[in-house]
Amino acid sequence: MFKLKVTDAKLLRDMATAISILVDEATFKIEPDGLKLRAMDPSRVAMIDFEWPKTIFEEYVCNEPTKMCINISELLKLLKRASKDEAVELSLDDKTGRLQVKITGKYSRDFTMPTLEASEEEVPTPKIAFNVKAKTTTQGLSQAIEDAQLVSDHVRIEADPEKLVLNAAGDLMGATITLQKGNDALLELEAKEGSKATFSLSYLAEIIKAASATSDIATLEFSTDMPIRIDFQQQKEGKLTFFLAPRIETD
Amino acid sequence: MNYAQIADAYEKIEATPKRLEMTDLLVELLKNTPVNLIGKVVYLTQGKLYPDFEGIEMGIAEKLAIKALARVSGSRESEIEEDLKKSGDIGETAQAFIAKKKQSTFFQKALTVQRVYELLDKMAKTSGSGAVDSKMALLSGLLSDASPKEAKYILRTVTGSLRLGIADMTVLDALAIAYGGGKETREFIERAYNISSDLGKVANIVAEKGLEGIKKYKVEVFEPIRPMLAERLASPEEILDKLGGKCVAEYKYDGERIQLHKKGNEVVLFSRRLEKISNQYPDAIELVKKCVNAEEAILEGECVAMDLETGEMRPFQELMHRRRKYGIEQAMVQYPVSLFMFDALFVDGEDLTREPYLVRRKALEQVIVKSDKIILAKNVKVGNVKQLEEFFEEAIEDGCEGLMCKAIGKESVYQAGARGWQWIKYKRDYKSEMTDTVDLVVVGAFHGRGKRAGAYGALLLATYNKEKDTFETVTKCGTGFTDKDLAIFPEMLQRHEIPRKHSRVQSTFEADVWFEPAVVLEILGAEITLSPIHLCAMDSIRKGSGLAIRFPRFTGKYRTDKAAEDATTSMEIVEMYRGQLKKIGES
Repeated sequence: MFKLKVTDAKLLRDMATAISILVDEATFKIEPDGLKLRAMDPSRVAMIDFEWPKTIFEEYVCNEPTKMCINISELLKLLKRASKDEAVELSLDDKTGRLQVKITGKYSRDFTMPTLEASEEEVPTPKIAFNVKAKTTTQGLSQAIEDAQLVSDHVRIEADPEKLVLNAAGDLMGATITLQKGNDALLELEAKEGSKATFSLSYLAEIIKAASATSDIATLEFSTDMPIRIDFQQQKEGKLTFFLAPRIETD
Repeated sequence: MNYAQIADAYEKIEATPKRLEMTDLLVELLKNTPVNLIGKVVYLTQGKLYPDFEGIEMGIAEKLAIKALARVSGSRESEIEEDLKKSGDIGETAQAFIAKKKQSTFFQKALTVQRVYELLDKMAKTSGSGAVDSKMALLSGLLSDASPKEAKYILRTVTGSLRLGIADMTVLDALAIAYGGGKETREFIERAYNISSDLGKVANIVAEKGLEGIKKYKVEVFEPIRPMLAERLASPEEILDKLGGKCVAEYKYDGERIQLHKKGNEVVLFSRRLEKISNQYPDAIELVKKCVNAEEAILEGECVAMDLETGEMRPFQELMHRRRKYGIEQAMVQYPVSLFMFDALFVDGEDLTREPYLVRRKALEQVIVKSDKIILAKNVKVGNVKQLEEFFEEAIEDGCEGLMCKAIGKESVYQAGARGWQWIKYKRDYKSEMTDTVDLVVVGAFHGRGKRAGAYGALLLATYNKEKDTFETVTKCGTGFTDKDLAIFPEMLQRHEIPRKHSRVQSTFEADVWFEPAVVLEILGAEITLSPIHLCAMDSIRKGSGLAIRFPRFTGKYRTDKAAEDATTSMEIVEMYRGQLKKIGES
């Protein structure tokens, strides 16, 4: 038996959006204390680690741990039918194995959709010693990424104890975006040593755009030529973290 | 088994132009393949996932392949496109870009054959909204685990450009050597392939059950039999010579060759290339259900577009209106078809492919409940050139392409998948296309059927022979008449009705109604052909033959300004025939 309810559809919609940018078929772990998902995009370049405790939901029932795999973009289509402030209820029909999506508010809709075979693959989170930790406003980070996207499809992120710098170099144009300690966009910065790593802007932009709807504060952690960890602060004990593998620039 | 093994084998196979070496390499690959994967590996070496008749294609557009490659390699799409312009081969380009991959990943797994096959299969079967994104995700997943060499062959496979040049026969040779016990066992494996059209399945059986297993392989309904093909000769003398002086000459209808499979109430139609084409012919399926009197059957026939009002065959081009996905219901009404059956390969548990032609024909005659729309292919036994020539001209005039001359001896078995001298095509080398209209005189008429019951179904038309002052029939026309025309005809023609053929009219036809030559109509035909029945310009092109107009159509113009003697003359038809004569290319 599994059932959850939110009073504002936006919450679920934003969650599903954030997941959908990396995975098509999402296998959720449904546990008595909350909903979890850890998955990698098909190319294994990016990873999502998502946890929402039961306290986030208006109502949450889970008698025993189970797994549920659904096509997340199909679910998103249904959730988009709900307008703001309408309530959404998800429940898993044990007999038919179908997910029921009930939207109530101005009127009520009952959708059902199939569940898929759950992935057995366990995705471990990478264990990395990060040398840099930078806390930014999600909005500020998002702007910086948009700046870089104007000139290139990848960006080098560098940090020293004073500043966080985004360097983008295209064929013709270049851009340097600096977030200095004391800037509004940069809330905290710790750098044990100077570090730099390069990442695909298309992944970064998609991740930040989708996650920014759920969060105001993003924490970046990285080391030279290692994957970056970006944590988007969630309400209550929720967790939405992404990992992104770096580009290796040989030239 | 890892996909890398297959990629290595591909690389070596590609490098050799020699078929024997290719076979050896294939043998090595097949021997190293676990038995449960043999079929899949065989399909993969041919750039496929299933036998052709399943109609499942990978269908990844190059554009999508470029996108996935860009995503996985961390390079820009524009760079990849640029490189592709130079290399002209998505495989080479993939190999280069994966080799200098800039994007790292969290981890890599070795690609197994099983996994590659499953993911390709999933890609092929993904459809509907969001299919492009799903395919892109699946392909990216494959590429992120692929070595440069593996990426090369994966992208060639998904874009349908693998082209290793491994012919079916090479695979059969390799199977014979690897699992049959030697190259000389190929004939048994080939036989199984010819009656199943499924190389993968045959490979599985020979690998699992050996030569004895493959020898027991039987014809099964819904597994298409590879069609027997005909040789072609241009002269009746040579044809008769090849066939031992006598043969059965059969109309070679101008339609689509169909192999129909029936089991109970289930019917599947395969094209000559063994694609499933049941969807195009719901009417033919109903016909088979009703008129094939057998629980199980595999029969062959020609599906031909028909003119219901005249009962005449329409040209092949009109049948092509049925080759569509949507609007079949409407096309069925506009372009009705008939089935002209010519062979029986399997009936109620009995494999007839090893029986001589006449036995098969007899079985066919017994199993078909004849009706208007399911008809036995017209044929006659011929023993000399004259008979063959005459029947040929008759066939042409009836709207056929020519004749299929079939051996009738003991050796005349159904040679599935082979082109041999048991069947010889006799088609025209030349045709004379008509570009101008002609004005013809109405000399007779035939009663209509179906919707035209009670009216004239077709008119017998003639040219004017100035030298002899006679009217010689040249065609029978039932097409192009509007309802208004059909109403006007009796009014216009009854004044000229006479009890018997007019003395100045030359005709071998027995019309239902005869007229004195008076009314002139404008007619457009498709071509002018030699004819054994029409008497227009008799003997002037070939002794014993007249000329006829094929596929005539009334343009709607009544030439009331013309007297019968002002009609197109027979000599003019001769000139048109000569002037338009063109060699027909082999199609």
